[in-house]
Amino acid sequence: MSASRPVSPWSLAVWVLGALLVLFVAGPLARLLIQARPASLAAAFRDPELMASLWLTVLTATSATVCSVLLGVPLAYLLARVPFPGRRIVAGLVELPVVVPHPVAGIALLLFLGRQSPVGRGLAALGLEVVNHIPGIVAGMLFVSAPIVASSAREAFRSVDPKLERVARTLGDTAWDAFRRVTLPLAGRSVLAGAVLAWARSVSEFGSIVILTYNPKVASILIYDRFTLFGLPAAVPAAAVLLLLALVVFVVVQLLAPDGGARR
Amino acid sequence: MIRLEGVVVRVGGFALGEIGFEIPSAGYGLVIGPTGSGKTTLLEAIAGHLPLRAGRILLRDRDVSRAAPEERRIGFVYQQYHLFPHRSVEENIGYGLRGQVAGSRSQRIRELAELLNLSPLLDRRIAGLSGGEQQRVALARALAPRPDILLLDEPFAAVDPATRRALRREIRAIHEREGITTLQVTHDFEDAMRLGDVVAVLAEGRIAQAGTPDQVFRYPNSAFVAEFIGTGTVLRGVVERARHDGATDGHFGAHFRSGALDLEVVAEREGPAYAVLRPVDLMVSRSATPGPAPRNRFSATVTRVEPGSAIAHIHLDASGTALVAAVMSTTAEELGLVPGLTVMVAVKATAIHLI
Repeated sequence: MSASRPVSPWSLAVWVLGALLVLFVAGPLARLLIQARPASLAAAFRDPELMASLWLTVLTATSATVCSVLLGVPLAYLLARVPFPGRRIVAGLVELPVVVPHPVAGIALLLFLGRQSPVGRGLAALGLEVVNHIPGIVAGMLFVSAPIVASSAREAFRSVDPKLERVARTLGDTAWDAFRRVTLPLAGRSVLAGAVLAWARSVSEFGSIVILTYNPKVASILIYDRFTLFGLPAAVPAAAVLLLLALVVFVVVQLLAPDGGARR
Repeated sequence: MIRLEGVVVRVGGFALGEIGFEIPSAGYGLVIGPTGSGKTTLLEAIAGHLPLRAGRILLRDRDVSRAAPEERRIGFVYQQYHLFPHRSVEENIGYGLRGQVAGSRSQRIRELAELLNLSPLLDRRIAGLSGGEQQRVALARALAPRPDILLLDEPFAAVDPATRRALRREIRAIHEREGITTLQVTHDFEDAMRLGDVVAVLAEGRIAQAGTPDQVFRYPNSAFVAEFIGTGTVLRGVVERARHDGATDGHFGAHFRSGALDLEVVAEREGPAYAVLRPVDLMVSRSATPGPAPRNRFSATVTRVEPGSAIAHIHLDASGTALVAAVMSTTAEELGLVPGLTVMVAVKATAIHLI
């Protein structure tokens, strides 16, 4: 008998369909990197406007991620551990931004944080201008990235058996000590992976920021701006630079993921 | 000392209580009950993880009903051990020794590691340990801070029989060495017989009976307890006072009738009752040799023989009533007990426990 089995039409179809999707994802990205020739990529790294825009993007995305973690992790812990009335509604509400189209999110945020609203006026009175200022960028990023942190942290906390904390309590830990010494170390990697994903999501945000704060321009808006004003060749090097940044983040997430290669 | 006074706990739809129970200082108490009877809930309430709806919990004469878990000085060992997977064996054992001088900390860890045969494992990670090893680490971790009270949740449920026997011995030895008041929950009455000074049977959130293991085993106060702890066959019937039998100490000679069986018994009251027949009290023989007077004798058919290493259980049919007798395995062989055989069964009137 031959060692290799005949390939069934079914398994052939599975392989072909799978390969098509891989090509569809990898093809355009590879094309973009090839199109941006080394010389123009090097030039892009010396382009002061692009560099300033990248720094702004990194800065605002980091701020949004820090806010997401500060506000999202405690909520995630509550959702995972404390059975309070309306918990399911709150859990659903936190995930809602995932299904809201981003320009819609931008308009909602504009109405909520703009000068016309009491919240916007209050913030302005405190000296915090949101719309058309850097805080507007952070607000748009926070709106779309906080659900990522909250839901990944919630799942991470859920995966830690609450009895471990109970054991820690009987061994003399306060509730905070037990969280810090047991739950956080066990859930931390997943929380961190969620934060990195949220950061990446913030970097890629366009739809809400374009409505809230067009200027100063974050990278995604700068690329769009160059494309509409100067055409494709002007947009490619900047797009390639942003893609490289995304690839770095992607590798970091893979290494952090609980089932990733770097697990010990 | 552990004392529970009118303790009531509610978790979701489950209600536990009222529970009243006491284990004396340095005593070993067991709460036994079937799955879902509220055993773990009771332990978690004592440890302070669940709030009390009513009642008081006293540990060493200290009312801890409102105290946080970390203030109760309790060592807790869960059924599934729940070791900290991100820490080594040594770090697990030393977890509760924070704030102690490094020297006394490592001395206590070494002491417990030696006591529980864990010394070679101190540097190991948790992931590679066997069930018995994990159980020992969990026990050492709970004992390390010298708690006033040790709570054990089904500590032998997840280990093989040989490990279970070894752990029973070790736990009893450690209990005596450290003089620590211990409360264990289990579904296995064997644990109670071998370990306990005091035992309470929990059924549907309430204590059905409490006492020494021997008392509870010999004199179960309900058909539930008798059946759950496996005292013996429980028969439902009626007690009738025998004619011409004068009462002494409130006891009188009587007949217990259940189906076709009519047994002489010593009773305290007449009317509907349960009779508990312990397998060891049923004597099985091939012929009707005359014996001492106050014995019930009746014939029965062997339906099944359950061999054991020392004791064989003989399932019998006595005119439609199913009974179980325990005989030495060698005796069972000598008598040639096989299904279908008709035998004589004898049981003392005083050996029949009426409920």
